Amino acid sequence: MKTMKPIAAAMLLGTLASGAAMAGADTKVALVPGGPHPYFAAWEQAGKDAMKDFNLGAGDYRVPAKWELALQSTMLESLITEGYNSFLIFPGDAVGTNSVAAEIKEAGGMSIATAGCLKDPTPAMFCMGTDTGNSAYLGTKELIRVMGGKGKIAHFTGFLVDPNTQLRIDAVQKAADETNGAVTVVQVIADIDAPEPANEKINAYLAANAAGVDGIVTTAWVPAVVAAQALTKIGDKRIKMVGIDHDEVVLKAVKDGFVDGTMLQNPYGQGYIGSYVLDKLRSGCTLKEDAPWKSNALTAKFVDSGTVFVDAKQIDTYVDAMRGITKTVLANFEGNYLNCK
Amino acid sequence: MNQTVANPSIAADAPQSPQGRASALTRLLLSNEFGLAVLLLLTFLIFANTLQGFSSTFSLFTIGRQIGINTMIGLAMMAVIVTGGLDLSVGAIGACTAMFFGYLAQALGLPLVFAIPLAIVFGAGLGFINGITVVKSGVHSFIITLASMSIFFGLMIFLTKAQSFNQLPAEVPSFGKWKIGGLVSPLLVISMLMCVVLSLFYRFTTLGRSMLAAGANPKAAELSGIRTGHVITACHVLTGGLAALAGLMLTARTGAAIPSMAGQLGQDWLLPAFLAPVLGGTLLAGGRVSVVGTFLGAAFVQTMTSGLLLMRIGEFWILACLGVMLLLAVLTDKARQSLLRSKGMV
Repeated sequence: MKTMKPIAAAMLLGTLASGAAMAGADTKVALVPGGPHPYFAAWEQAGKDAMKDFNLGAGDYRVPAKWELALQSTMLESLITEGYNSFLIFPGDAVGTNSVAAEIKEAGGMSIATAGCLKDPTPAMFCMGTDTGNSAYLGTKELIRVMGGKGKIAHFTGFLVDPNTQLRIDAVQKAADETNGAVTVVQVIADIDAPEPANEKINAYLAANAAGVDGIVTTAWVPAVVAAQALTKIGDKRIKMVGIDHDEVVLKAVKDGFVDGTMLQNPYGQGYIGSYVLDKLRSGCTLKEDAPWKSNALTAKFVDSGTVFVDAKQIDTYVDAMRGITKTVLANFEGNYLNCK
Repeated sequence: MNQTVANPSIAADAPQSPQGRASALTRLLLSNEFGLAVLLLLTFLIFANTLQGFSSTFSLFTIGRQIGINTMIGLAMMAVIVTGGLDLSVGAIGACTAMFFGYLAQALGLPLVFAIPLAIVFGAGLGFINGITVVKSGVHSFIITLASMSIFFGLMIFLTKAQSFNQLPAEVPSFGKWKIGGLVSPLLVISMLMCVVLSLFYRFTTLGRSMLAAGANPKAAELSGIRTGHVITACHVLTGGLAALAGLMLTARTGAAIPSMAGQLGQDWLLPAFLAPVLGGTLLAGGRVSVVGTFLGAAFVQTMTSGLLLMRIGEFWILACLGVMLLLAVLTDKARQSLLRSKGMV
């Protein structure tokens, strides 16, 4: 992800010079994930780059010590107290985080739900993230393609308390249903987006059922890493797999042919573009009501930060793929979504 | 402050001699609560004078609100620690109760005046299941509540499909945001009132004193006619009811009933549940509770957490600090006990 930094920065400097000139140093952006997770590591650099490129007062990445709604809420309250006024928040809970988003608004600040949405009605300006259902659907379609259009699939995914998980489960099932019975989802293992349960459950499942599975689709970071490790360790390329995200383990497994591809998301772009948009909004721009908002199960104001499938042929140039998405989203954002005088 | 079966302060209404008053003063100065109150005051003053924004009305309101919730969680655990037991399912009970309340108030449209008491009874019912299982099986409450934590939470997720109730009556979120006098959260007031009620309960009621007696020496309590099985069950019922109340308070704070409000399996509540009473001087072995200490413990933990966050010492150090505080509290309590014993005061 770090390799994206100079590329994205150079790309954006040219197109956003005017925006940077207008940017106020009083825009203090805090990028706050729900807890520690490798997916969000790119936000730190994104915040720093945005701070520099858009002359922001702050672009700080602050991580709650663990995935705990109360801890994240306390941290956000503390950041309000510190004077931050612009927040990119991965909601600790799609509903529960609304209350602290309301407090941010009442304190004169604004927030964007980032990488995960808040449920409407929400005080957040909008939601920017991966269209998780679509990503899971496209990933499964790719898996079915490499499986030759038939076989049995196991699906490893995230926490059940995350509403996105059900969307992913439904999307994988939908892709399988479209094969009219040629492909069946034989197992869904959820609640494993952490190393210990992922290792325990995925390895136990594969030890007992590897022969009965033709394909694996993973729709959360840690299960993707663990499943990729397991397939690499087994050394069996018969089982096809499509993972998610850009962990080094997954990328190497794709390169080595043990994993057939991965659905990339765009965390750097989320942090960078989100900081830019918050500054624009603080500079007097407003959101267009008739903007081409997408909708999902949680909100009617959703901006897709992009997802792309990469396989072994594109793995060395995946940064370019993500750069393309970031460039497209950023170049069109003001025209599509903002009213700026 | 404290309630202990062998605590002479229970008869504190009787006139005291000068030596007795001196002894009471020494006891007060050596008490956990006094030490904690001084520590809390010092910590607050240091943070207020060194950290910008710490003493702002917004900051004080949010700190107070969280103290209210954490105190109630701590009281829930304290109510079962009194007999030497524990309840790992407090978070699961809190989350289940919140979801049940959401179902009553939103899906069924029941008025709050009915939904709130029914939800508390529901939580107490889950506590009753824990209590009766502990008593009938003879297995330690650690194992029973470890299992029930997963059962309660799993059933709740299965029944609700992890979907929140976010269209609760407007009074619920308004209550969570309400600032009495522009500063004080009603959640803090509720917890303080509950502290008063529980103090009176342990001090003046037969059941309360029976709980302390059963915790201090179950065999002696049994021989003196206390039905310890019933008492232990009652403790779990009380824990369930208090955890339910904490769940409802958190629902008011978040403005919605959400399944993850206490984390996976309700585990997010475990640290505050143990920290507050243990810091406050409640003995893990049972037989002694400190209601005021639990409040002070919760207040100290939240003040420290907020101050450390503002100091930016690093988010990951905060958990370490809380762990160190818990350890220090246990060790300090042991040292205090030794000192009092050496002076013949216990």
